[in-house]
Amino acid sequence: MVEWLESVLAGAVQMGTVYLLASLGEIYAERSGILNLGLEGIMIMGAALSFLFTIAYGHLTALILVVIVGMLLSLILAVMAVSLRLNQVVVGLALTLFGIGMSGFLTHPTIRGSVLLHLNPDLPETALIIQEAPKLPEIPIPGLADIPLIGPVLFKHNILVYLALILSFVMWFILFKTRIGLSLRSVGENPAMADALGVNVALVRYLATLVGGALGALAGAYLFIGFQPFWVEGMTAGRGFISLALVILATWNPLRAILGSLLFGGVEVIQFRLQLIGLGAQAPQFVLMLPYIVTIVALSLLSFESVKKRIGVPAALGIPYSREEV
Amino acid sequence: MALLPIRFERRLTYTRTAAILTTILAILLAFGAVAILFIILGLDVAAAFQTILNVFITPRLFFQAVVRGVPITLAALGLAIAFRMNFWNIGAEGQIYMGAFASTGIVLAHIYYGFLPEVLVLPTMFLTAFLAGGAWCLLPAVLKAKLNVNEILTTLMMNFIAILWVAYLIYGPWRDPEGFGFPLSIPFPDYAKFLFIAGNQAYTGFTITLIVAALIYLLFRYGKLGFELTVIGQSLDAARYAGINIAKAIVLGAFLSGGLAGIGGLSILSGIIGRLRPDLSPGYGYTAIIVSFLAALNPWLIVPAGIFFGGLFTAGEALQATLKIPGAAVEMFQSIIFIFIIFGEFLKRYRIVVGGGGSGG
Repeated sequence: MVEWLESVLAGAVQMGTVYLLASLGEIYAERSGILNLGLEGIMIMGAALSFLFTIAYGHLTALILVVIVGMLLSLILAVMAVSLRLNQVVVGLALTLFGIGMSGFLTHPTIRGSVLLHLNPDLPETALIIQEAPKLPEIPIPGLADIPLIGPVLFKHNILVYLALILSFVMWFILFKTRIGLSLRSVGENPAMADALGVNVALVRYLATLVGGALGALAGAYLFIGFQPFWVEGMTAGRGFISLALVILATWNPLRAILGSLLFGGVEVIQFRLQLIGLGAQAPQFVLMLPYIVTIVALSLLSFESVKKRIGVPAALGIPYSREEV
Repeated sequence: MALLPIRFERRLTYTRTAAILTTILAILLAFGAVAILFIILGLDVAAAFQTILNVFITPRLFFQAVVRGVPITLAALGLAIAFRMNFWNIGAEGQIYMGAFASTGIVLAHIYYGFLPEVLVLPTMFLTAFLAGGAWCLLPAVLKAKLNVNEILTTLMMNFIAILWVAYLIYGPWRDPEGFGFPLSIPFPDYAKFLFIAGNQAYTGFTITLIVAALIYLLFRYGKLGFELTVIGQSLDAARYAGINIAKAIVLGAFLSGGLAGIGGLSILSGIIGRLRPDLSPGYGYTAIIVSFLAALNPWLIVPAGIFFGGLFTAGEALQATLKIPGAAVEMFQSIIFIFIIFGEFLKRYRIVVGGGGSGG
């Protein structure tokens, strides 16, 4: 029983890290007033590029490059939504469609070889056709990893899982306990007021969007090299969108995002488990629907709550700001 | 607050010619961007573009473009209704699948249980496809109208559920018992398919899109609902002030929107592939989003825009066969067009003024 619980919880933490990384970045973007619907596209690009870059350059370089690409992609969103004041929903959707198409194109067997040779001309023939890449190594924390239950659940993971957990606390602290966080929140609540108080609204929104892009791409990279290092086209399967829902469930709070990510990570683990014990062997589709159904139910329940308690959506979320056009 | 010494002045008016030129420019820029990518990867750009051009000048291929354009156009016409009222229905893909599911249900009921006489099969399929697509948009619409739940996320989640539902049926109870185990339904009989005229179904499909486009045009030109949806889209406060029943209008508009995508699903089965398949749509529902924006939500412009994107899908197959360029290239190309169209929207609305200073305020 303990062993079962242990593996389910450890699995929820591992799967949840995908959601946690993506939603942490998105929390910052949305706190500044930018809704990044391109998250799904950035995530799938992160996954696809972590595949290609890992084969070409190894893990560390791959992670750095993926983060840079994530920032570049979100820069498109920032330019179009912040500077050009275009509709964030439309721009974000375009970015998602771009990420899905581009990732499928670059990793397709007929194209991948030439992409990889461009990245690294010395790759052997065999590296050009494999569908998988080495997984990130597990780093058990000495001493702590041996504690029963808690050890395997919290202290026996790869570096990105630890990073996500540490980031949740750091990002919570910055958001609520520092001046930077105050500026960030004020830009998302009342940009005109923030502007009057000397905060550079555009700059804050650019930076927050870039943080979101970096972490979104990292979430995709984690999904591939940190969780399931076998490339399947479209492998993010809507997890970027579920992360957007998670941000709402977490009421834009990095610490609550941990709980939300455990919920969705847990749902996916239970999904695997149900299939293992033969439930849904005949019709796996119903089990596969779970995360999407849970998302709709959770969003609806939360709306009941928010109608009562008025949980704070950043007031200027999705609204472009221009000094001349207020 | 600007990062660069550039200012944007809002244009008060823009001409129709300027709008058309901007759209053409957006498409050309997208071609340019794809050309650069292809050159970097050592792909034959000239041959690729020739293949795309061929689709639009070879009659046989152009008919295919029209046939593929039908579901895209129908879904895009539906989206135009939703987008007018600022209801972000991203669920056309799922609504297409539900329309396909419902129309297959009628065919199977007729064949196995003798439900309905033959002549009524196709009309009933239209009706059920419309209802199923609309119903699939209903839950997000009600959640939006009553609880203000974000419809972007809910309509999207419904896509995944619909696609899995169709997959369940086609790998399970609806699989053709004589289909050698392939995930296909039994083939549709001729009376459940679009009429063949001169050997192809393009005429029938195209006529349907024209009729629907006309209906949408009339809805927004003369219909009370069309007027209400437009007001809701422009300002919720104005709509409230005008005494419009916002919840009711949103739910009705969303139902129509999903219903048209549902008919789009029917048109894929009855007008293209002739049976239910788990991969019945290569993303027509997402393409429809791009089409409705390319046409600036104008129903008459959605028809040619839909055919253009249908042509891109047709070209995609040719590219795969002859040049080994993956199908995802089409999706990528479409999204790049989308990005440039959105950028064009900016050019239409603003004039760029270099150098800071100036009037201000």
